[in-house]
Amino acid sequence: MEQIIDGFKSALSLIASFDGELMNIVSLTLFVTIVATGISAVLSVPLGIFLGIKDFPLKSLVVRVLYTFMSLPPVIVGLFVFLMIARRGPLGGLGLLFTVTAMIIAQILLVTPIITGIVYNGTLEKGRDIKNLGKTLGATRPQLLFLLIRELRIEIFAGIISGYGRAISEVGAVMIVGGNIKGHTRVMTTAIAMLRSMGDYEMAIALGLVLLALSFIINFALYHFQQKA
Amino acid sequence: MELQIQSLKRTYDEKIALDISKLHIDSGALIGIIGPNGAGKSTFVKLIAGIDTGFTGSILYNQKRLTESSDTYKRMTLIFQKPYLFRTSVFDNIAYPLKIRGEKEAIIEVKVKKLLVDLGLEKLRDQPGKTLSGGESQKVALARALVFEPELLLLDEPTANIDPQSIMVMERVLGDFYEKNRPTVIMVTHNIQQAKRLCREVFFIDEGRLIERGPTAKVLEHPKEVRTKNFIQWAMI
Repeated sequence: MEQIIDGFKSALSLIASFDGELMNIVSLTLFVTIVATGISAVLSVPLGIFLGIKDFPLKSLVVRVLYTFMSLPPVIVGLFVFLMIARRGPLGGLGLLFTVTAMIIAQILLVTPIITGIVYNGTLEKGRDIKNLGKTLGATRPQLLFLLIRELRIEIFAGIISGYGRAISEVGAVMIVGGNIKGHTRVMTTAIAMLRSMGDYEMAIALGLVLLALSFIINFALYHFQQKA
Repeated sequence: MELQIQSLKRTYDEKIALDISKLHIDSGALIGIIGPNGAGKSTFVKLIAGIDTGFTGSILYNQKRLTESSDTYKRMTLIFQKPYLFRTSVFDNIAYPLKIRGEKEAIIEVKVKKLLVDLGLEKLRDQPGKTLSGGESQKVALARALVFEPELLLLDEPTANIDPQSIMVMERVLGDFYEKNRPTVIMVTHNIQQAKRLCREVFFIDEGRLIERGPTAKVLEHPKEVRTKNFIQWAMI
């Protein structure tokens, strides 16, 4: 117990002093997760809306595959990306293994189905009504898309936040493709996993507290946005 | 806007929802569509509105077909039975069709304000659309449909479940709009008295087919077809 309390005290002083290594890990985490989620959102939102308002052959199969991908284990995604970009893989020539780019790619693959699925479900309920209304008021296709995004913004925001939550909390994918290299590809989750096994609880607790604070901020933002809307 | 309908057929799971072989609607017509539940009345207006494209046959609007990019969409509108209002204010809801047409702010203000006054909605101007009652929502939906002065106005039971006072206000505004602009109006209604008050012509649709059409007084008071007669008798109870 005393070790834990001491660990907390040291962790708080690391945070308060803006420890260099801590800041590096946190800033890289934020960079990777925000970029990955941002790119995923750009891909997912129109795709989720399209799935919600359009009928096409094999749609039910596509939706089932989407739901499956929403709960894909991160290590499977990491393994897939690793096999693609490993030296002997089809994309080995790009030299992406153990880079930040590889981590972003892996997280995009992880997060895109989540945002797409949540936006799709949100669109199902009223997407067609909005689309039909927009059409009967004379909206063009781009105007319809903008209208749908505006009217479904709560659902879209919830999808993006959920996707971000997944990105910031996963370990497996970024560990496999990033390698957890100090000062280069080490993010909060991979650092915590490594530090625990090394017995360095101060830094692990410090990172854990920052991660917890970020999760709280994310959920607070989502709640606040929903209340305002 | 003139409409020409040829061999219009809509089926759902092999069941015929609508089957109209030939129909011509003059520009400026003011038509009430009556008929029992499930007759195909709403299907009819949705097909004309272009939001249901799963039909065979043809519908010509001023001699032209409707395509996805057609500007005919900008000259017609449909008021739904259950109106969907945007999350924005009542003012912005009504202004929406003008904004997407690139209308100037000053003109938007004038046109929207007039409709707010005519429909008794001035006090609700800044209220979010989602917070309105059923009657208020339907008035906003009517204002939103009229603000850009469509040539073809389709209404699917616009006054269903609305209080009598709101119905009066909406009918007056609709009547004034018609007198001023002479659009083609096709209105689905369960209210025979409303059809009598507003419409110049009535279509009776049953089991997906146009059974009888004619001037309102003639169809409602001296229907030729037995089915029309039976329906009107029941509807008057």
